[in-house]
Amino acid sequence: MKHRGRLVALAAGTCVLSIYPAFADEYHLTVLRDALLFGLFAVSLDFFWGSTGILSFGHATFFGLGGYVMTLVTMTSGLPAPSVLGLFAAVGAPAALAAIVGYFLLFGGVRGSFFTIVTLALSVIAQQLVISWSSVTGGDTGLLGVPPLALGGYEISGAMATYIVVAVTLIVVLLALRALEQSRWGKILIAIGDNEVRAAALGHNAPARLTLTFVISAAVAGFAGGLYVAIAGVVAPDLIGLLLSTEVIVWVAIGGRGTLLGPVVGAVLVQRAQQEISSMNPSLWPLILGCTFVIIVFVAPDGVMSIAERSRMLLRRRSA
Amino acid sequence: MSEVLLEMKGVSVKFGGLTALSDIDYSITSRSLACIIGPNGAGKSTFLNVLTGTLRPSIGSVAFRGRDIGGLALHRISRLGIARKFQIPSVFPSLSVAENMDVARWGAAREPDETDVLEMVGLSARRDVKAADLSHGEKQWLEIGMAIAASPKLLLLDEPTAGMTSQETQATAALLHRLKRHTAIIAVEHDISFVRALDTDTLVLHQGRLFRRGPFSEIEADEAVRDVYLGRR
Repeated sequence: MKHRGRLVALAAGTCVLSIYPAFADEYHLTVLRDALLFGLFAVSLDFFWGSTGILSFGHATFFGLGGYVMTLVTMTSGLPAPSVLGLFAAVGAPAALAAIVGYFLLFGGVRGSFFTIVTLALSVIAQQLVISWSSVTGGDTGLLGVPPLALGGYEISGAMATYIVVAVTLIVVLLALRALEQSRWGKILIAIGDNEVRAAALGHNAPARLTLTFVISAAVAGFAGGLYVAIAGVVAPDLIGLLLSTEVIVWVAIGGRGTLLGPVVGAVLVQRAQQEISSMNPSLWPLILGCTFVIIVFVAPDGVMSIAERSRMLLRRRSA
Repeated sequence: MSEVLLEMKGVSVKFGGLTALSDIDYSITSRSLACIIGPNGAGKSTFLNVLTGTLRPSIGSVAFRGRDIGGLALHRISRLGIARKFQIPSVFPSLSVAENMDVARWGAAREPDETDVLEMVGLSARRDVKAADLSHGEKQWLEIGMAIAASPKLLLLDEPTAGMTSQETQATAALLHRLKRHTAIIAVEHDISFVRALDTDTLVLHQGRLFRRGPFSEIEADEAVRDVYLGRR
C-alpha cells in the first residue's frame, strides 16, 4: 500500500508538472525549473542515504564537479557535440571520484558518522580547490557564458524548453531509481542498511554494493550539476561547497528520507519559502529554516511525505 | 559416503594476553550433527566466529572442503556454503518475512530453488509481516529459516533456542534432526534439555580447550564435565 501510495503521489506530481506551464508565467516557470534541478540533486543524495542509512555530507562535491566538468567540456574542449559529451563527462567524473572515495572508505569499513565527516571534508577540499585553481575554474567568481544544451543540432534554451527537459529528466530518473529500489538490488541494499554483518553472513558483498550505490548516486548528482550549469549559463564555487551540501540534506530530511519523491517536494518547498521570506527580510530566512527543520524532526521525523501517509492511515483506522 | 567437510588444526585465538581458544583440533563430516556446550567464557562463540571468518585464528588453520578459509571475507565464506544463525536474533526488520527469506536465498553461490522453508519453520502465515513486528521466538525461527534457505553445506547455530518455549525447543531439535540428512550442523547451546533432545556428538569447551567429546549420554554422565559446569574445576 505504501508503494502504491508513492506511485499515486508520483503520478499526481507528474500531472501538476504537466499543467503548471499553462498557468505560470516565464519567471515562475524558471523558478520551478531550478527548484526541480535541485530536487534532482536531492534525489541523488536520497538514493544513497535513504537506502543505506549512510549520510554523505559532501554530496555537493559531485553536483559541483558535474557542473565544472560540463563547463570545461562545452567551453574549452572544442569537441563536436559538446553538450552530449559534457553530460557524459558530468556523469562520469563524479562517478569515478565516488568510486575512488567509496572504495577506500566503504571497503575500509568506514561507516556512520566517520563516513559523514570524511565526505564533509571532501566538500571543503573541493571548494578550496576550485577557488584556488582560478586559471581553470575562474576562482571565486566561477565561469560565465556556459553554452546552452544542444542536442542533435537543436539548441535547448528558453524557459519552456528547459522546463520540459528538466521535468522529463526528473521523472525518468525517479522512475529508474524507484525501479532499482524495488528490485532485488534494492531489497539487498535495505538488508545491508538494516544489518550489514548479517547480510555479509548470507553471502552479500556489502562494501561492493554500497560503493556501487554511492557511484550511482554521485553520477545522478553530477548529471544534475551538468544540466544546471548548462541551463543557468554559469558555474561558481558555491555549487560545490559545504553550504549546498548542507542544504541538500535539509531538503531530503524535510521531504522525507528514503521516499525519492519527498526530497523533490522538500527542495521545491524550501526554495519557494526562501524566495518569499528573503524578499521580505533577508536575515529572517536562516532562522525560519532552522526552526522549520527542528519542528519537522520532532513532528514528522520521516519528512512531509510521511504526514500524508500517516493521515491516510489515521483516516482508515477511524473509518474501520 | 560422508566427506570431511570442515577441519580445524591446532587453532588458537588470543586477545592480547587472554587465550580464548587453545590448540583445537576438530573436524566434522557432511550430514552430521554436533553440539558444543560449555560454561560462560568457555570459548563457544569464539569457536563459531573462527568458523565463519569473523575471527582469524592466531595460530592454526581452518579448512572447509580442503580449502583454507582463514582470513576470507565473511561473504566469501558464506558463499562456500557455510551459513550461520547468530546468538541474538538478527533479521532485517525493514523487510517482510518473505523478503528476508529472499535475501537469504539470493546470497547463495548457486541460488537454490524457492522451497517452502517458511512452512518448515511455521511462518508461512506470517510471510507478509514485517520482520520488526515478529515476536522474539518468531525472529529466532525466521533466522533459522534464513540460514536454511541458502541450502548450506554447513549450518552453524549459536544458541538457536534462546527465548523459545520448551515446546518450540523440542520442535527445533526435531527440525535439526531432519535437516542433518542434507547438511552438517554445529549448534552451540546452553539449554541442556535441547542438547539432550539432540542426543548427538557433543563437544565440551572449557577455558578455551576441547575438554571432552563424545555422545551426549557419555558427556552427561561424566563427573568431570559436571564439575566444570558447577565451577568446581
